[in-house]
Amino acid sequence: MTVSTFRASARWIRADLRARRGQAALTVLAVAGIVTALITSATLLEDGTNPWRGLFSQTRGAHVWIHTKDAPDAAALSRLPGVEQVAGPYRTAPVTLAMGGKKSPVALRETTAQPPRVAAPLVGEGRWLRTGDTAGVVVERSFAEALDLRVGGPFTVTALNGASHALVVVGLAETADQGFYPEWTPGLAWVLPQTLAGIEPALGRSESVTGLRLADGEDTLPVVHGAVTLLDEQIQRMSTWREVRASMELDNRLLGLLLALFGTAGLVAAALATANAVGGRVLTQTRDIATLKSLGYTRGQVFAVLVAEHGALGLLGIGLGTVCGLLVTTLALDGLSVLPLSPVPLLAIIAGAAAVVLVAVALPAWRGGRTPPIPAAPAAPPRGRLSRVARLALLVRLPPALVLGTRDAFTRRTPAFLSIVGLAVPMMMITIGLGCWATLDDFLRRPEQVGQAAALTVHPDGLPAEDAARLARADPDVRAVYPGSEVSALEPEQTRSVLARALGTSAEPYPFSVVEGRMFAARGEAVAGQGLLDLLGVEIGDRVRMTVGGTPLIVHIVGRVVEPDHDGQVLSLGMDSLAAKDAVPPQFYSLVLKKGADPEAVRDRLLAASGETLEVRRAVNPAERLAVIRVVIVALTVVLALLGLANLLTARSLGLRDHAFDLAVLKAMGLTPGQVAATLVTGTGLLVVLGVVAGTAAGASVVGGLIDLQGHTSGVGAGIGRTPSALTLAVTACTAIGAALLVTSVPARRAARAQVPVTAR
Amino acid sequence: MSADPVVSTVNLVKIYQSGGVPVPAVRGVDLRVESGEFVAIMGPSGSGKSTLVHMLGGLDARTSGEIWLDGRRADTLGESAWALLRRQKIGFVFQFFNLIANMTVADNVELPALLAGASPREARERRERLLGALGLTGRADAAPAQLAGGEQQRVALARALANKPSLLLADEPTGNLDSRNTRDVLKLLADVHRDGQTIILVTHDARVASLADRVVSLLDGQIVDDGVVGTFRRRPKGTAGDVVELRG
Repeated sequence: MTVSTFRASARWIRADLRARRGQAALTVLAVAGIVTALITSATLLEDGTNPWRGLFSQTRGAHVWIHTKDAPDAAALSRLPGVEQVAGPYRTAPVTLAMGGKKSPVALRETTAQPPRVAAPLVGEGRWLRTGDTAGVVVERSFAEALDLRVGGPFTVTALNGASHALVVVGLAETADQGFYPEWTPGLAWVLPQTLAGIEPALGRSESVTGLRLADGEDTLPVVHGAVTLLDEQIQRMSTWREVRASMELDNRLLGLLLALFGTAGLVAAALATANAVGGRVLTQTRDIATLKSLGYTRGQVFAVLVAEHGALGLLGIGLGTVCGLLVTTLALDGLSVLPLSPVPLLAIIAGAAAVVLVAVALPAWRGGRTPPIPAAPAAPPRGRLSRVARLALLVRLPPALVLGTRDAFTRRTPAFLSIVGLAVPMMMITIGLGCWATLDDFLRRPEQVGQAAALTVHPDGLPAEDAARLARADPDVRAVYPGSEVSALEPEQTRSVLARALGTSAEPYPFSVVEGRMFAARGEAVAGQGLLDLLGVEIGDRVRMTVGGTPLIVHIVGRVVEPDHDGQVLSLGMDSLAAKDAVPPQFYSLVLKKGADPEAVRDRLLAASGETLEVRRAVNPAERLAVIRVVIVALTVVLALLGLANLLTARSLGLRDHAFDLAVLKAMGLTPGQVAATLVTGTGLLVVLGVVAGTAAGASVVGGLIDLQGHTSGVGAGIGRTPSALTLAVTACTAIGAALLVTSVPARRAARAQVPVTAR
Repeated sequence: MSADPVVSTVNLVKIYQSGGVPVPAVRGVDLRVESGEFVAIMGPSGSGKSTLVHMLGGLDARTSGEIWLDGRRADTLGESAWALLRRQKIGFVFQFFNLIANMTVADNVELPALLAGASPREARERRERLLGALGLTGRADAAPAQLAGGEQQRVALARALANKPSLLLADEPTGNLDSRNTRDVLKLLADVHRDGQTIILVTHDARVASLADRVVSLLDGQIVDDGVVGTFRRRPKGTAGDVVELRG
């Protein structure tokens, strides 16, 4: 485009935008909302919000941690191929921290006053240890937060020999050595070597921890194998950066997936809305475009002007959305140290969204460019035929306004179809959002369905187990008490351990939420979460040889349960299936409360009855951790509603334009202004009703399956998805339709009352 | 050698296809319009007069025949080349004014000037001069919808004249106006014609046609009559007389 056409086109674009500020703003906002959702989702999926990434690079963390009985040969380890540097070996002793009646296991790790070069904890508050700080301790931050430890506060630990040592917290530090407390136990604290020697003089009661920093984290597996070969029997356990990262991940992934789903569908909806809006605009401007051509605009220039105007709105939206997305990920998700999205996916999202918007703009703009230059030629809709729907309406003797409106609705097939789909897609996504909401509600209302029948867990701690059980049974609000123990189970290849949870007995099993197969009913039978079934590659009915708590056991898996913990990699069985050493006495009791009982009140009563010796924990409902999803659903619903509104405005303006000149005829035929308005409202409203109903139906039919699919992949397992209630769906659909009719009726009534000039288009 | 005619056609034919049935609209028109002429094309509805001027302006493609503009063959031009030609040489006035509703009167008039490469300042000066000459100075910032029909057509005329076209095509410019406004618009057309503007005007109103130097009558797509009205003042382009007459 030359400078001269550029000037003329700029005038035209400016005038056009000024004439439809609202619609333009709607386009920008809708596109911005979707790009925000996409960037946020990509950030979440990319682990940008996973603090591990930031921590690991800031602390120069070690990729592999090896726990051995005695200090290994660090020099030999450093010679392993792929190993760059070695951290430690550090002597670590298990101690117990008593705080406010609660005892927490702590790993006390020796360190030097000079922070190490590899895996140096990052001091956030207070300071690092100094030479001579023999009573000082630096505590890992998440552990300190969970126990409300402050700098300068006491840190009184009890060693295995029963001796108590009073230490003082001098600093809080973050580390990528292990996951956050309480997902990762024991808590971690650092002391000087001489302090550790004073607390735990016996070398036999401590272990040695060595970190290996690799040149490339992807080489973890060969290095692990190398270390196992080198140290063999000495190794007690190992952990890799992948496990640490996974434990810090929280539920960002689910949120990211949800956002990605909404964002992608939203982008499709936005493309439809944009194409529809530009197409509608081109149709309503046919005469102006023809005039431009008669003034000397070429086909290509008309195309360029349309693409420039509507594309610029889209690109503005993308720019705004990018800024919002980056702000949202840094501001709204605070509390987590967020690394911004890396440039490749960010550029991919921007370029992808831009391409989608430009294609959506270019297709109708190309049609606009082909507008014949004779301005008088009317761009009338195809006429003379009643649509099938209209004929049906006539057959059932509907009022004339409805019949005429029905006829109007389908005079232009493609825009009518685009309008319906353009409304159906956002409506479908809103229904899916409501389904997620209903599922979360269901989690909270019926926790037993997500495997959380027990609201409280009682650890006997200081009391004999029988006394704890007796106290629990005595409480009036406790309906049932199930003894439980958790041991680790090694899967057949003995490479990974999973959690084996014995709860209840075969005769009286804990009310697990069995969604497939049946509950275990005999010794040796067990139920498993989806994650475990996938891990072992087994199906219900299979028998698996496992080592449960050190005892070999052939487990007959008879059912699948909804398992929200540990990625579903949990084996649940009866106490009678465990070896006596693990089962007697039970480690804890799970308390199922009577309906309507307040877990906090029961907890307080139990604590009082036991003289604060019992440890009573409340179960954390997964829905509580997923509460942020509700915010996301609300925000996305707003964006989708904007998109629906954009489509509606297009359908409305097109309907008005196509039929404005029929109004005089209708009036001449004797229709009242009310009937004329009803005709116009019906024309748009019918499309709205079809779109909303189709979208709601589609959303309701897929939402349960989608959530179950997500449940399956995350290990929780299918059987959690809920479809929103019929009432919710009906209310949502009616609200959408009602709002749409309201938006349509105002201009329709104005048009019906206006004096219509009988002129050509 | 006399100067090239502003427009000439040789055996110009236009056949529309309506549902597979050929409908001839223009059937072999030979027309020659000299510079400075004011030609009225008359005929009943459906006689092909609008189709003819649309073809002369390149808004509609001819089926066969030749169109020459300022001595250059134009019927073989593509759509874009026609558009460029329109920018420089042709001004259009339509029955329904066809002002761009979203743009102010000023922008409507400046648009063709800007499109033809005038600087914004030059476009503004031209617009001010034209609107002043057409008595619309005060309405520059109004929206077209705020103007009366006659005023809208005067704006359309100003827009058509913005690039000093060698040919002004007016398709029923008074068809949508009352008698007073018709008189005003015709007076303006007569004024610009007196200043040397070549005009082809389509009308079915004999009183409007009487204003022209020459009336061409079309019937069923063919010229049935071509006659000079009153004294035809033939003025070769660029003579001293031209200047004198303009001043006079």
